[in-house]
Amino acid sequence: MRILVAMSGGVDSSVAAAMLVESGHDVVGATMKTFCYSGDAAASKRSCCGLEGIADARQVADRLGIPHYVFDVEEGFTRDVIDDFVSEYANGRTPNPCVQCNSNTKFGDLFVRGQVLDCEGVASGHFARIDNTGSTPRLLRGADRTKDQSYFLWGLPTEMLWKLHFPVGGLAKDEVRSRARALGLVTANKPESQEICFVPTGNYRDLLADRLLPTHAALSPGPIVDPGGRVLGRHGGYAGFTVGQRRGIGGGRGERYHVIEIRPATREVVIGPRHLLEVGGAVVGDLNWLGPPPVPGRRLGVQIRYRAPVHRCTVEEIDDDAVGLSFREGAMAVAPGQSSVFFEGDRVLGGGRIRETVGGR
Amino acid sequence: MPANSVPVYLDHAATTPVRPEVATAMQLALEDNFGNPSSTHAWGRRARTLLEKARSTLAHALGTSPECVVFTRGGTESNNLAILGRARHDAARGTRARVITSAIEHPSVFEAARRVAAEGGRHTVVRFSGLGLDVGALATALRQGASVASFMWVDNETGLELPIGEVGEMCRNHGVQLHSDSVQAVGKLPVEADELSPDMLTLTGHKLYGPKGAGALLVRERGTLEPLHFGGGQERGLRPGTEDVVGAVGLAEAVRLAVGEQRSEARRLKRLRDRVEAEVLAGVPGARAIASEAPRAPHISSLRIPGADSDVLLAALDRVGVAASAGSACASGSGRRSRAVEALQPDDSGAVVRLSFGRLNAAQSGERIAELVVGAAERARALGTAGNP
Repeated sequence: MRILVAMSGGVDSSVAAAMLVESGHDVVGATMKTFCYSGDAAASKRSCCGLEGIADARQVADRLGIPHYVFDVEEGFTRDVIDDFVSEYANGRTPNPCVQCNSNTKFGDLFVRGQVLDCEGVASGHFARIDNTGSTPRLLRGADRTKDQSYFLWGLPTEMLWKLHFPVGGLAKDEVRSRARALGLVTANKPESQEICFVPTGNYRDLLADRLLPTHAALSPGPIVDPGGRVLGRHGGYAGFTVGQRRGIGGGRGERYHVIEIRPATREVVIGPRHLLEVGGAVVGDLNWLGPPPVPGRRLGVQIRYRAPVHRCTVEEIDDDAVGLSFREGAMAVAPGQSSVFFEGDRVLGGGRIRETVGGR
Repeated sequence: MPANSVPVYLDHAATTPVRPEVATAMQLALEDNFGNPSSTHAWGRRARTLLEKARSTLAHALGTSPECVVFTRGGTESNNLAILGRARHDAARGTRARVITSAIEHPSVFEAARRVAAEGGRHTVVRFSGLGLDVGALATALRQGASVASFMWVDNETGLELPIGEVGEMCRNHGVQLHSDSVQAVGKLPVEADELSPDMLTLTGHKLYGPKGAGALLVRERGTLEPLHFGGGQERGLRPGTEDVVGAVGLAEAVRLAVGEQRSEARRLKRLRDRVEAEVLAGVPGARAIASEAPRAPHISSLRIPGADSDVLLAALDRVGVAASAGSACASGSGRRSRAVEALQPDDSGAVVRLSFGRLNAAQSGERIAELVVGAAERARALGTAGNP
């Protein structure tokens, strides 16, 4: 089978490509160029999809004897991922750009390019698995739970699952690295990419300052208040805050305070002790289901942050637009804008973006 | 590439294979003449003889004298030497350096000129109005004097010929030295390094079936150049370092052959290029040939394919065994930005693919080539542009 594999220049996608070659597939490598790197060469070096990432991916492809193409998706990526990222923070919410990229840019763009190149499948180096044994394909968590990336994949169109391959999804990270070393791949010992790929400075506030007017409310000073509205201090712009955050709100209190809520209309950042972070439920919008949508009363697992534990929840109400959840034990630091991903065991049922929280405080 | 297809190399403007006669000449030099040309013993003398023979072969082929030939390690080095060498010569004598270039120069010219500006000099860019160089702007720039003006003879991305004769006359009238990056012109157009030609010419071996890493700068007044390298004084101090005799032999032989065949090869390439171009324009709705209404070198066709992305079109071509490129190769490999195309056709959108013809297409039919290009264009157009998948 001819398979187009996304190669970021990192070790996971390098090994994914190698495994597909080993299985006898006709593999074509592709790196998506998501933004222009001409500005700061030093900064782009650090990011895995930067110029160095492209060079590494090409070198791995050469080593594997497969063709490798660079596809420029800057326009779509800027619109669907970067603009969304900026507008979410501007609205006092906390975006998941990797979800936006996977849902709108990366896989969709790979699929259409794969069609031009006569590819029947598309692959990436994500730690997730596809179970194609049943009547419909199911998206599962990666076998290595410490590296599982299924949280970022809930937005995939269901019709894509049939053609998707995640070759490293059944491996542990250590195995991926040892395979890369055994194959002599240049990316074998490359460190994990931590930062957001389009924020090479590592500080997303630099990007916001760059893309929003300096007079934008999100970058303008405002009050830090307690839940009762009492002013406790000032902040330099609510875009710098995320629900649950502890840093940047001043200390000197007997108890550690966290950001409880961001109120863009009044530019207030509400802080309070940790127990106030607990909420009883949430409304989740922008839904995508990878199987039949749940009915009210259904009990599910839900993950409200990358690497957060799974909370047990009950579907209270649901329509095409949104789902209302109640957490059975309460959940901490549920940030509007973040992805809420529904699980049944290891299976990803679907997900959405957290619109608001319910109860608590 | 699919096993059942014949590869079609349409990227001769990127690089060319070493032709057999050149390989033979290089092989001979490689085997028996390893000496250092600076040595006084017999081995050194033999190597020096070979090097100087190469120099005079090259000079003779281009109608200049051997002492005007500076061997370099390629086009980038020649361009850097011409621009930075002239600018630093002026700066060292207390004159503020100034470089005038066109807006579509190769990065090895453009970035060198920017470097001059970074070192305290000035870089003036002469733009295009449509397909014509803005000679009014050039005249204005020349009136203020300059260390060097640098205008490519043939644009590597579109094949557009710049009016080097006219530019040269203007430069002479203002006492400004003219350098021309001629890597795409030698062997394709009648290039003569006579008294009416530019003061400095860049050429490189690998664009004309010679070796990579071997180039030359033809210089009329070598005393007005500062070297960029320092060492043992080789190439009369302009390019120190032990000479690459084998490379020089290959370069000279390649230039000799290319210049000798220029007229017949240009005729053949133009016929093939025009045929392919006509068929592709007929087969792909809305396609246009960039700069086709202006004088063009015979081997390059730059095609605008609306409704497609360049990178996707190139991948689709590669899958059917057709090698082409989107303008000049960019560092990231996606090659989407093209300075020349942006300057010459700023308001158009769609894929730009450069087909460049040469010896590897000698036995190939224009119809067959066009068929493959049209097929790939159709596939790429079916996908649309990234903005509207």
